[in-house]
Amino acid sequence: MAMQPKITAKVACTDRPVGEISRVIVDPLTQEISHVVVDTGGQDVVVPAQLIDAVTEREVRLRCASADLVRFERLRREDFLPLEEVEIPHLERKLHGVQPGEVLVPLPALEKDVTRRNFFTKFTAAIGAVLALPLAWPALRYITDPMYLPFDNSWLKFGRVDALREPGVPQLLKFHKSVREGFLNREFEKSHWAMRASPELLDKIYAGGDMEFRDASGEVVWTNTKETDVVVFSGKCPHLGCAYRWRKHRTFGQAFICPCHLSIFDPSGEPVEGPSPRGLDVLPVKVVGNEIQIIDMEFKAGKTKQVRIV
Amino acid sequence: MFQAIYRWVDERIDLKTLQAKLLNEPMAGGARWAYVFGSVLLFIFATQVVTGILLMFYYAPTADHAWESTRYIIEEVDYGWFLLSYHLWGSSAMVAILVVHMSQVYLWGAYKKPREMVWLAGLGLFMIVLGFGFTGYLLPWDQRSYWATVIGVEIIDKVPLIGDFLGRFMRGGPVPGAQTLSRFFVIHVMILPIALAGLAGLHLFFFRKAGPAGPYKGTPAELKSKMEFFFPVQVWKDIVAMGVVFVIICGLAIYEPHELMEEASPVASDLDPEPEWYFMFLFQLLRDPMFLFLFSGEWGEFLGAILLPSIFMLLLVALPFIDRSPERNIFKRPIALTSWVVLMISIIFLTIRAYQFRE
Repeated sequence: MAMQPKITAKVACTDRPVGEISRVIVDPLTQEISHVVVDTGGQDVVVPAQLIDAVTEREVRLRCASADLVRFERLRREDFLPLEEVEIPHLERKLHGVQPGEVLVPLPALEKDVTRRNFFTKFTAAIGAVLALPLAWPALRYITDPMYLPFDNSWLKFGRVDALREPGVPQLLKFHKSVREGFLNREFEKSHWAMRASPELLDKIYAGGDMEFRDASGEVVWTNTKETDVVVFSGKCPHLGCAYRWRKHRTFGQAFICPCHLSIFDPSGEPVEGPSPRGLDVLPVKVVGNEIQIIDMEFKAGKTKQVRIV
Repeated sequence: MFQAIYRWVDERIDLKTLQAKLLNEPMAGGARWAYVFGSVLLFIFATQVVTGILLMFYYAPTADHAWESTRYIIEEVDYGWFLLSYHLWGSSAMVAILVVHMSQVYLWGAYKKPREMVWLAGLGLFMIVLGFGFTGYLLPWDQRSYWATVIGVEIIDKVPLIGDFLGRFMRGGPVPGAQTLSRFFVIHVMILPIALAGLAGLHLFFFRKAGPAGPYKGTPAELKSKMEFFFPVQVWKDIVAMGVVFVIICGLAIYEPHELMEEASPVASDLDPEPEWYFMFLFQLLRDPMFLFLFSGEWGEFLGAILLPSIFMLLLVALPFIDRSPERNIFKRPIALTSWVVLMISIIFLTIRAYQFRE
């Protein structure tokens, strides 16, 4: 390979030395040096590479007279990009010996108009947004689809009254529940605590009067009254939703104890120790013959007030 | 033959230069065992991807088949028990080594200028790894996974204003069920892996741009005289560390294989729900009588499980911007050292108490 013109190399015309090479300009397609920029002492002159007569260790000799240099263009730096900012595969293999120093690549002739470049940048962003927006709304609706369902106010068979042998002793009763979740029809077991409450306990549980249960609209769907001595506590701990148990406690005697965060509730469901913000949730209950029926409501855990979610 | 192929590829994509750039990374002060953790994490991620993909060959991500297919993997498919146990222990190893890696960066002062972006990307990776643990825990659909998720999502529900939305979004409904499993599955096997791979790439890119921090003491002359490239000594140390971690995870998988509990059910049982060991301290914080005055009532869980961890994460994010002194020696950074020691002792203390509190 012929020797390449080096940056800072001295440059001589046919008649006299004229300065030194300050930059080289590379054609991005042919990957050859197309021009050298000669610093003639204040003037950067762009000289076509074809005019290079010879490259020696000491200098670069041009095939023209020094007077001819005025015919060439002055460097307009803004029309060029430094080599680092342009992706040209394998260029370094062809350009050994010219770095370090500024190697320039001309902006494509079509891109020298700066306002055009700005226009395209903005237009690209705008079209990108226009493409993304129609997708955003369907996508949002799609993934939030099953999140809000109407409440289920149907009565479920929960168990038999005679299963509640001792008054005041809660029993964990299991029942079957069918739900449609997405495409799945699932039937699974759930459990709540049920008991026959003594008159004193009923007084305590109904201290606030009859219990009204409402639909999402606010309409009362059922009212529990003291007339029914069967009380059903939702099996979900009102602290963070674990399944609590009926156990003997050293201080509180028989109590509902949650194994997760150790909230403790007395037989009327009132919290006596632990982090729970409210007492156990009483569920709507009715006794039809020997059969206990419930509406399997669920309330948000961790709130002082009951917030129905199912 | 190999040489010929290599040359052929090199001619087209400059493979040799690329390889050289990757390997010839100058490390002030030379290679060290202390630098292996990042590579080990990358290695664990790779094995989690491999074992995770293998598990998906038989796993069915629907509520009616998830448990049964997991049981099938453990009990019937050849080496299914091993790959599943490896995947579970691998996740634990990931968290453990992540804590070591972060502690080291913190103690070495390697988050300071100009490495702030490496630190920030790293924090993002930390969150993603915790997300992996949380979502993956549900997938076997046994009692342990079900109840941990019930509670975990209830906690998310406690975020003010958007908590209800977030909780419903995670569950795919008002209560945990079939949709929850589908959502956790797609988050676990698609969203998080893509996020982690992308962010890990960025983390490495930022790291390579900023350069390794090197030791916190030593004169420039000393650091220069001991300077080594990433290859070969550090690469060798990294691979040895990966080998050690691999053997440990395999050992745990073989001698402590994962045991599947009964299928998930909302029926009350004798199970004491608890989270993975690395969330135990937070779990204990919410129920410990010592802190009940703070973490009970309507705002208790928000304070303990959302606000405190969020403040902690925000502090970590702000760290390189608060601590702008160039001093990296941990023994000359008393506040940094004390806070790390206090944090570690608190976490260990609460974790031990959590296990003592098991009924």
